[in-house]
Amino acid sequence: MPDISILTTITPNHYLVLSACLFMIGVAGVLLRRNLIVLFMSIELMLNAVNLSFVTFSHSFGKVDGQVMVFFVMTIAAAEAAVGLALAVSIFKRFKEVNIRFFEHLKG
Amino acid sequence: MTSMGTTGFEITVNLIKTVLVFLMMVQAVPILVWLERRGSAFIQNRFGPNRVGPLGLLQLLADAVKFLTKEDFAPEKGNRFMFYAAPVFALIPAAIAYMAIPMSVPLKLESATFLIQGFEINVGIVFVLGISSLAAYTILMAGWGSGSKFSLMGAMRASAQIISYELALGLSIVGVILMYGTFNFNEMILQQQGPLSFQAFGYTVSTVALPNWGIFYQPVGMILFFAATFAESNRLPFDLAEGEAELVAGFHTEYGGFKMLMFFIGEYGHMMIASGLMATFFFGGYGIPYVSIQDVQNFGMNLFGSEIAANVFNTVVHFLMYNLKFGLFLWIFIHVRWTLPRFRYDQLMDLGWKTMLPWALANTMVTATVMFVTSYFMF
Amino acid sequence: MTADAFLFWFLAALTIVSALSVVLMTNPIYSALSLAMTMVSVAAIFVTLQAYFLAGVQIIVYAGAVMVLFVMVLMLFDLKHELQAFTRGRFSGAFKIASIGSLAGLLVGAMYTANVLTVPEAASVANTTPKGAITPLAEELFLRNVFGFEALGVLLLVIAVGTVALSRSKGGTHARH
Repeated sequence: MPDISILTTITPNHYLVLSACLFMIGVAGVLLRRNLIVLFMSIELMLNAVNLSFVTFSHSFGKVDGQVMVFFVMTIAAAEAAVGLALAVSIFKRFKEVNIRFFEHLKG
Repeated sequence: MTSMGTTGFEITVNLIKTVLVFLMMVQAVPILVWLERRGSAFIQNRFGPNRVGPLGLLQLLADAVKFLTKEDFAPEKGNRFMFYAAPVFALIPAAIAYMAIPMSVPLKLESATFLIQGFEINVGIVFVLGISSLAAYTILMAGWGSGSKFSLMGAMRASAQIISYELALGLSIVGVILMYGTFNFNEMILQQQGPLSFQAFGYTVSTVALPNWGIFYQPVGMILFFAATFAESNRLPFDLAEGEAELVAGFHTEYGGFKMLMFFIGEYGHMMIASGLMATFFFGGYGIPYVSIQDVQNFGMNLFGSEIAANVFNTVVHFLMYNLKFGLFLWIFIHVRWTLPRFRYDQLMDLGWKTMLPWALANTMVTATVMFVTSYFMF
Repeated sequence: MTADAFLFWFLAALTIVSALSVVLMTNPIYSALSLAMTMVSVAAIFVTLQAYFLAGVQIIVYAGAVMVLFVMVLMLFDLKHELQAFTRGRFSGAFKIASIGSLAGLLVGAMYTANVLTVPEAASVANTTPKGAITPLAEELFLRNVFGFEALGVLLLVIAVGTVALSRSKGGTHARH
């Protein structure tokens, strides 16, 4: 009988590994995708992964500092999304396209 | 979130209860539709549906049969997955959010205590606001999935409206949260028991003439909250999403039959959440004015002579009281719909951002200042 | 299997699958909707970590506001299936995937060898404060981190002004005349 305690006992490490996986999926999205808005979404995914680790640490150390950090991260993420989307809209107005391949040159 | 109980009996009852609350919500919709049709007829000096059954009540059944047997069609140019998923998602957030609102005093049986609500959450307000804000997706999915211009434009309008008014909605109840010092609905209702009394500058002010309801402390918050819930549930005077003159029927232009009915249930579900929250925040929830929970319990004891019967009596009486308040607010929703004209879109946005948001902010700041001054300065 | 473990594995699977579909779906609207799903399941994971208030805030802010904005903008653009959703180049693609994989392996390996998190359960929040109490959180946020809080307020103001300016501008140096 193999040891299945890793499946039945959930430790903070499980949450941290999950957070790492989420972060990696976000990195993969940023590296592999070409749609500007999907890039923003991948960044949101990475921020969420970080939030998850903060909450895990906060839970396992019994302190609320981590949760306060999550608040800050959420605020910044919302602000970043607002600016990013405004940029995306103005880029779309100018180029009629949100694929980064079409505006990789800084020249208009 | 409290657990579902420890014994098998408790778990079973709690699970059945969740299903029951959902069924209650769904079953209330036909009655509301009947009320709305008869009520609008009354307001407009017509008869309304009065042929099928007594008072036209069986019209509901006939309508259900009609909805179920209609042809099930989907637009060819649309996105089939989203077109079919949207009505389902219209139902889920409304049902889940409605389950968090307490409807009566907890029922104490011999060994166990059952809360008369789907489940209790300590951060109830945040939960309800969050879950009901997911309704914007439904509208966007329906508008996009239909593949029609009118649907998409209606969806854009409706979702912009929902996220704009969410700010005013959230800010208008910050004053309430500050006052009660809790996010928990049950604790709020318990604080609204008894006659109006509060502490100011070290003195206790009280009067027996008025109940201790939130409306007497937060009248501005009440008005803002009620107005914002109209916008959140896409009802007149804020139902810009379906301005017939310009957009046919908004995001559900392409829907028919049972799928349309599910959107309807979702809309009525949001109305019910709004009414339940109004009762809970500002009108004492299930509490009966001038009569405390203990009084009802004692009355039941005298009447039946057994503890359990008195408990059941207590729960039922408070449940009826809750439904009275709940029904009153639902009627106000219906009455407003058939009395007020629709806003123009720019007027709607101006009202949300330039009027309600500043007033809600001012209400929050005044509440906080008054609470600080009256509790820290003594004369 | 205990209920806790079942819940964790279920939510973890949901999160990973929806996060993967954010990256793999070629239609950006499906990506955005899966990201919303990811946000909701992360909120559910917060609940299992007893951060109830944060879970609510996560749903309101992320799923209810930020992602609705994304979906709205995408629907305004009306993009169909993209011709080139992913970057080109077989070699660079393989290199990117390999680097992501090795970074992930490093992280997970580091976590398993480091053993930092064998904190006894007695110290956890659940046992020191009542369930879902937000008073400690408020004290931490408004008493100890009040400077950061105010700085964020200023940041939000700047962002609001900047966003309005961006969306009203006629293209700046890139304007077509």
